[in-house]
Amino acid sequence: MTAKLFAASAVTLLLATVAHAADSGPIVIGVPVGLSGANSVVAPSVVQEAQLAVDEINAAGGVLGRKLQLEVADDASGAAGAQKAFDSLIYQKKVDALISMETSAARNAGLPAVGKGHVPYIYTSFYEGHSCNKYMYVDAWVPEQQVPPIIDNFVKDKGAKTYFLIGSDYAFGRGMLGFTRKYIEKVGGKVVGEEYLPMDGADWTPILSKLKDAKPDAIITSTAGGAPNVTLTKQMRAAGINLPYANLAVDEGTAKSMGSDATGIYLSASYVTGIDSPENKKFLDAASKKFGADLKTPNDLSVPEYEAVYLYKLAVEKAGSTDPAKVIESLPTVSFTGPRGEIKMDKEHHAPLTMYLGQVQSDGTVKVAATFKDVDPGDQCPNLK
Amino acid sequence: MLLLLDILTTAAILFVVSVGLLAIFGVLKIINFAHGAWLTIGAYCAVVAVKMGLNPWAGLPIAFVVGALLGGIAELLIIRPLYRRPLDAILATWGLGIVIGQLITLEFGRDVQLIPNLMSGTIRVLSVDYSVYRLFVLLAALVIGALFALTIEGTRLGLAARAVIMNETLARSLGIDTDRVRLVIFMIGAGLAALAGVLLTPLTSVDPNMGVAWLIGAFMLVMVADTSYLALAAACIVFGGVQVLVSTFVSPVLGGISIAVLAALVLRINSRGFSRA
Repeated sequence: MTAKLFAASAVTLLLATVAHAADSGPIVIGVPVGLSGANSVVAPSVVQEAQLAVDEINAAGGVLGRKLQLEVADDASGAAGAQKAFDSLIYQKKVDALISMETSAARNAGLPAVGKGHVPYIYTSFYEGHSCNKYMYVDAWVPEQQVPPIIDNFVKDKGAKTYFLIGSDYAFGRGMLGFTRKYIEKVGGKVVGEEYLPMDGADWTPILSKLKDAKPDAIITSTAGGAPNVTLTKQMRAAGINLPYANLAVDEGTAKSMGSDATGIYLSASYVTGIDSPENKKFLDAASKKFGADLKTPNDLSVPEYEAVYLYKLAVEKAGSTDPAKVIESLPTVSFTGPRGEIKMDKEHHAPLTMYLGQVQSDGTVKVAATFKDVDPGDQCPNLK
Repeated sequence: MLLLLDILTTAAILFVVSVGLLAIFGVLKIINFAHGAWLTIGAYCAVVAVKMGLNPWAGLPIAFVVGALLGGIAELLIIRPLYRRPLDAILATWGLGIVIGQLITLEFGRDVQLIPNLMSGTIRVLSVDYSVYRLFVLLAALVIGALFALTIEGTRLGLAARAVIMNETLARSLGIDTDRVRLVIFMIGAGLAALAGVLLTPLTSVDPNMGVAWLIGAFMLVMVADTSYLALAAACIVFGGVQVLVSTFVSPVLGGISIAVLAALVLRINSRGFSRA
């Protein structure tokens, strides 16, 4: 009897210590990200920005007196890798939250584990839209936010009425151009051609010849990132095509690697390094101080990661604990003013964002040509409150 | 007119890309699946040449020499023991291609590399403005084809190579050093692949996987051309033409697979492909 009582109290004591440890130990943030595969070019910048945010928050005293800790896992940029990464982060590492930029395939594969494990998840990649889950919030753009600034500007400034659309043949490429077509037709424009090449296709010649025949006022492209984008732009310039040209898939880094061929391209993003605000300047200074020559250029995929860590911090502080149910209640109610401006994920789990229409200059930098305040993400998840 | 130029220049690019593979397959009877990696090596030679401050055109001879030297090393160390085991040679060259891709990634990273274009702008041909560079590739294909023909038909090496193609045992018994012929031909094939890599740089992105996209098409063309460079030229014009026509009038997605489909069809109808022509 005494032995039993002793054992029971020992167990209780042990449990109490464990529970206590969980409350005073670090708050663990899981970052499943494509360290290998298609996203491997951009993933290092995402990890850097997450690290920067965590270090800044810890240096300022942490969250509710606890430190933040990162747990990075490779999702191999795809569905199979994401399932493993989410499972190990949620069930083995017992993370308190997931904050990450991933491919759509990886996100969709990970969501069931997020629902079962009841883990708040902030998705920080721009994507094709309409992905809805009680536990997921998104602080990056959807087509409803990225495309209109470009078309509106082309209609107003260039008087463009006819458009030619070119893309890579995959979900994001077709999704973006599908929305673009609808929007162009809504504002009274006309699409005179819409052509796709497989993702590994390298010869755009016949499409470019069709483009020349169609004589559009402007060109909109949405290829897979990296190689197809560079190939298309090189061949377009070699064919002597110099129409107003907006690229939905280009970022500053890729634009730089295209050299003079990229000059004049329009892009639309919620972040460009040239944003003139004290928050962005402070962020860039901190990033280059921390990483020095190793700093990967901050971009439209890594900066939302930085801000999402802060949004999570604010949500935990407001909820008073890391309890998932309380955190997902408070996530849409907090706002953080970061490099991209004020971010609040209060629109059906998505965030209204300030969008920047940029134009690539001859030295490879991106100059902001127009700013569109608080562009609404539209009805992404009408069934979520 | 635009369509005709598209077909001719597309055929020229296909020819430039696949002629190195044909040389190796014709004489050595093995398929060099590291061909794509040699294209990539060539393109990175141009990257290095530009970084060293040389004229972008210097990439062409540098790539040919570097590609041939590396090809020689690969032949001696990896390919030579496998001539009697062509299936193993496929595995070995495929693996070699992966290793080379990873080595390039280690040294240069996965990013797309920037090289100034060899030529830019357009020129008026009859009624249309056409890319100067694509016309230059057409010229380059003709020059490479002519030099290749001269080597095969007009030199001692070519004579020995043709002897090896027809009957290697007999060639050896006549005193031809067939090992040396194989080595030299492999080096030429590898050098031509690297040269093609440089010629591709203004048309495509330079990254560690750039060769893969071109390898399959080149492989199909060589399958139907067998050992004859004239058959290869014919196959490039026919297949390239169909690719452009299908892409223009039906869909570029279908155009992308037209070479593979046509190659399968041709080989089904006539197992010797174009080589009888």
